[in-house]
Amino acid sequence: MTEVAISRLPEAPLHVVEIWSNPQDVAQRFAAAMGFALPAMGLSASNDRLGLMRFEPSVWLAEGDVSGLADILAENGALTEIGGGVVRIRLSGAGWRALLMEAGVFDAEDPNFGPGCTAATLIDHVNVRLHVVAEDVCIAYVPASYSRALLHFWDEAGKTLTA
Amino acid sequence: MMQIACPHCGSRAQQEFMYERTVDSVVPLDAPTDKAMAALFTRTNPRGPDDEIWRHTYGCRAWMVVTRHRVTHEITAVRAVGPEVLP
Amino acid sequence: MTAPRRAAKAATLNFTFDGKAYRAVPGETLAAALLANGVKLVGRSFKYHRPRGIMTAGVEEPNALVTVGEGGRREPNTRATDVFVYDGLVARSQNRWPSLRFDFGSVFGLFSKALPAGFYYKTFFGSAKRWMIYEYFIRKAAGLGNAPTEADPDRFSHRAAFCDVLIVGGGPAGLQAAVEEAEAGKRVILVEQDAILGASLIRDPQTLDAGWVEATAARIRKAGGRILTRTSASGYWEHDLVTLTQLCVEPGQTAENRLAQRLWRVRAGRVILATGSIERPIAFANNDRPGIMLSQAVRTYIRRFGVVPGQRAIIATNNDDAYDTADALIAAGANVVAVLDARETASGRAAHAQAAGMTVHLGAVPKAAKGGRQGVTGLVASVAGATQSWAVDLIAVSGGFTPVVHLHQQAGGTLNWVEEAQAFVPGSSRQNVTTIGGAAKPEAVGVMRPISQPKKSFIDFQNDVTLADVDLAWAEGYRSVEHLKRYTTLGMATDQGKLGNMAALGRLAEQQGVSIPEAGLTTFRPPYTPVSMGLIAGPGAPHGGAHIRRLALYDLHAAKAPIWQPLGYWFRPRAYPQAGETLATAALREARAVRTSVGMTDVSTLAKFEITGPDAAAFLEIICATSVAKLAIGRGRYTFMLREDGLAFDDGTVWRLDENRYLLTSSTGGADRMATHISYVRQYLCPHLRVSAVNVQEHYAGIAIAGPRAKQVVEGLIGQDVPRHMSAIAASIHGLPVHVLAASYSGERAFEVYCSASEAPSIWAACEAAVLAQGGCLYGLEAMEFLRIEKGHLVVGGEIDGRLSPYDLGLEKMLNKAGGFIGAAGLGRPALRGKGRRQLVGLEAIEGNIPEGAMLLSAPNAAPQGHVSAAAFRVLEGGSIALGQLINGFDRHGEEMIAASPTRGQSARVRVTHPHFYDLAGERYRD
Repeated sequence: MTEVAISRLPEAPLHVVEIWSNPQDVAQRFAAAMGFALPAMGLSASNDRLGLMRFEPSVWLAEGDVSGLADILAENGALTEIGGGVVRIRLSGAGWRALLMEAGVFDAEDPNFGPGCTAATLIDHVNVRLHVVAEDVCIAYVPASYSRALLHFWDEAGKTLTA
Repeated sequence: MMQIACPHCGSRAQQEFMYERTVDSVVPLDAPTDKAMAALFTRTNPRGPDDEIWRHTYGCRAWMVVTRHRVTHEITAVRAVGPEVLP
Repeated sequence: MTAPRRAAKAATLNFTFDGKAYRAVPGETLAAALLANGVKLVGRSFKYHRPRGIMTAGVEEPNALVTVGEGGRREPNTRATDVFVYDGLVARSQNRWPSLRFDFGSVFGLFSKALPAGFYYKTFFGSAKRWMIYEYFIRKAAGLGNAPTEADPDRFSHRAAFCDVLIVGGGPAGLQAAVEEAEAGKRVILVEQDAILGASLIRDPQTLDAGWVEATAARIRKAGGRILTRTSASGYWEHDLVTLTQLCVEPGQTAENRLAQRLWRVRAGRVILATGSIERPIAFANNDRPGIMLSQAVRTYIRRFGVVPGQRAIIATNNDDAYDTADALIAAGANVVAVLDARETASGRAAHAQAAGMTVHLGAVPKAAKGGRQGVTGLVASVAGATQSWAVDLIAVSGGFTPVVHLHQQAGGTLNWVEEAQAFVPGSSRQNVTTIGGAAKPEAVGVMRPISQPKKSFIDFQNDVTLADVDLAWAEGYRSVEHLKRYTTLGMATDQGKLGNMAALGRLAEQQGVSIPEAGLTTFRPPYTPVSMGLIAGPGAPHGGAHIRRLALYDLHAAKAPIWQPLGYWFRPRAYPQAGETLATAALREARAVRTSVGMTDVSTLAKFEITGPDAAAFLEIICATSVAKLAIGRGRYTFMLREDGLAFDDGTVWRLDENRYLLTSSTGGADRMATHISYVRQYLCPHLRVSAVNVQEHYAGIAIAGPRAKQVVEGLIGQDVPRHMSAIAASIHGLPVHVLAASYSGERAFEVYCSASEAPSIWAACEAAVLAQGGCLYGLEAMEFLRIEKGHLVVGGEIDGRLSPYDLGLEKMLNKAGGFIGAAGLGRPALRGKGRRQLVGLEAIEGNIPEGAMLLSAPNAAPQGHVSAAAFRVLEGGSIALGQLINGFDRHGEEMIAASPTRGQSARVRVTHPHFYDLAGERYRD
């Protein structure tokens, strides 16, 4: 129960989608245009071109094709690119939950924290945002300047994981 | 190491939050000089419950008002502040 | 029932104690192994260097403190009762010289009359010179073990865990509670400080099925529960958070994966304490001799380890439990000469023992032990008023039981007094914690008053505190239990008074003439047992914990072997010295390149925020004290930010990239603070504004290209005209999108190129090639300082240090006349317009070089009237200049002063002047 593979994923664009007014109207426009609903707090949702993760009450992080979003937001929100400052780290294997408990404060061992769930927390003093994409795969979105230190920490911690 | 019930994320460890200031120290944007400085520098500091502004900085980054007992750390209320939010 | 015999052939582990080789059976503690090998003397007491032996079988052990392990793994003050022998264990006794047997320090025992409690405090009265002499010897004699001097090579982990129920204590009560909760579907964690589960069942097997412990543990695990052994609950914190310290290997032992210990932070739904109780010793003269042990400990050594600590034993007790020890000793073949029962009338258990032929004396209280370093040889007691004595080699004592209530009290719980047990048990708690088992129901006792010579009756064995010391504190006027503790130091050693606190409290209550609960208790503080510093440091230990933030362009900088400078959590290049250059010569060369041709530097760490929306300008005019809304699209300006009290705390630039899209930059060091401030204003003060304020500090990398040839460099890179000064354009370099902002910190014509950090390395490479082709070079922070000081540009943390208002900084003209910004109300304070305020000035050296940080004086040894915030040299002409803060500085231009730095032994004569020395008209920015 302690195997975990840790790898850095290639750089990819990431956008902040923020709604500042009339969120219900925006949600309707979004669902109509994209075919799925804006996810609730702590969850993600996607179609085959666009994926959204919600970590904040008024902000969704968007991956993929964001070309339709500015029109959907109209005068109720804005899109801002942040991907250059984010590194994605993929954690997989049976031990990913135990790994996230090392120098952490969040209950990654809660079975309710499963595929489709998101959570932002602190691990080894670094603010990370987690997205569970499969039973044994979790992606961590890490500030670029801290990513090397956190990768090193996880590599070391991975060597001493016993359930 | 308290636990704080974030209105958006549920109960989370204190380390994810940052304490900002007390509600009674807030300076409203349009306050004239004397009222502004009175709010900023005159505090009550009760030995009991008080309303404090906390931010879930390393979680959802949202702001909230926490009613916390200064001696026992008992938290009796947490209320979200900020723009209207989609559920 | 017969006790197991320790089989000598099963002793397969090799260990040494004070250099001598012994063997141990796997599963033995060091204490058990030493007793099995006939070792009675294991230590010398703290103050009087009295010979001491093993007294207990648990973490409450006060005497058998040894140093185990070697090198960086050395752990002093390890209780021999709390370390399990492994092959190759090296243990040494402490606090003795030259040897345990013949310890020079035992002469202190002869001076014990001069060294009672409080003697050290009294040495502070009188001559300070004499005190320095005492102090030398006291320092040498003080302390027990010695700290290791090498770095610990092991790993320490910090782990979080969550559960519905945390159960502390793996004895019968804890195991039963754990299996019930786990099988009811709760997330359960059970912890036990011993290496095996069972606790009291190991010492006193009940009429339960053999193997009940193992079977119950298996059921717990099968139901998904987590069982941690060698794990101690060290503290109970807020909201049912409990810290656990887990030994993954024994002290001094090498782990395969080098993980020595783990600190768990467990957030529990509720906590069940099944922590049992600790037996009390009895106070009588010389009650600290080797061979005097707690009664239950004697049973543990016999029944768990097959070791009989003596052949001719006497038992002194005030309760029924000790009779079990008599049975165990007899079953092990030892001779029990008598049981001294302090109670006047025989309990059922005592009568039963008498009927079975045991010698039981009622109303019997020990007076004095005989014997020395070789161990106890006899006991003198008062039996119903008359004195009797026996020759013995083992005295088993039981003065009652103290429930382990530490965690309950740390949880904010109250304690209730149980008169028939003469003990405190847990009462109510405001947290979700309950206590079960022996800790909730201690054994009934008879009240026992010491009748012995107080001077030699020890109550705190580790700190050598006697009953006489408690009496002395009272005689000297110390009344409260808090004063008693600090004056005598009882309860302040590594065992934190586990054996002695109740006896001291009883004595104090007598003196006060009140009941024990009225006399009060001191506070139980974490940790319950000592915790290794390495564990507290955790995974960050090797380099001190805080992560270094790494530049996106780190590899490109590192390839040039720059001198690095720490700046907040970053390291940035300070200079790029070429062969033979020092920091100073490299920085001067770099700064001159910027003034005469072109230089290039990494400004990626600046705070950056992208502000978007119809209310973006209005939002910025709340944060910034300058106007923003008047900026045309594609234009930018310098700006600064005030706190609510009107003082400046940060500065930067703001650019209008599009109709409703702005870029705000501010200082690197204040980046996190500014991000919090922006979020506070947006979310708490102005939730209604139509604006999105996003922290893009890490998204954008920034490259500044500055100098007379910067225009050619940038035009060559972007293939179009450069923006004019304080304008911004969108462009591309090698097909990659960039923003080019015409702004200057250095005072030369300059452009800042912002790109996505993920594309920064190729953009940097392109820029560098173009800069070098124009005869330029890279420059670092040192050169940047020379350039900006000469130009009079401010730095946050230097000139902007949080104590100056915009008036003091000469920025008054830039204030937004419409007001409405944070700090406007604060600026209305009359004090900010008063005389006697520090104001920004420039300084030119008349003689000497101006030291940075120097104080500004009118005359030698006069009171300082200001200081030098930044010092440099004119880049092209040479000559020492500086920026500084000076009281009423605006009115003092032309005045001569002294800039003095006494700590560095440097000073200069200076003239006060305007705070800019270069290109006042700003001509360098124009074509």
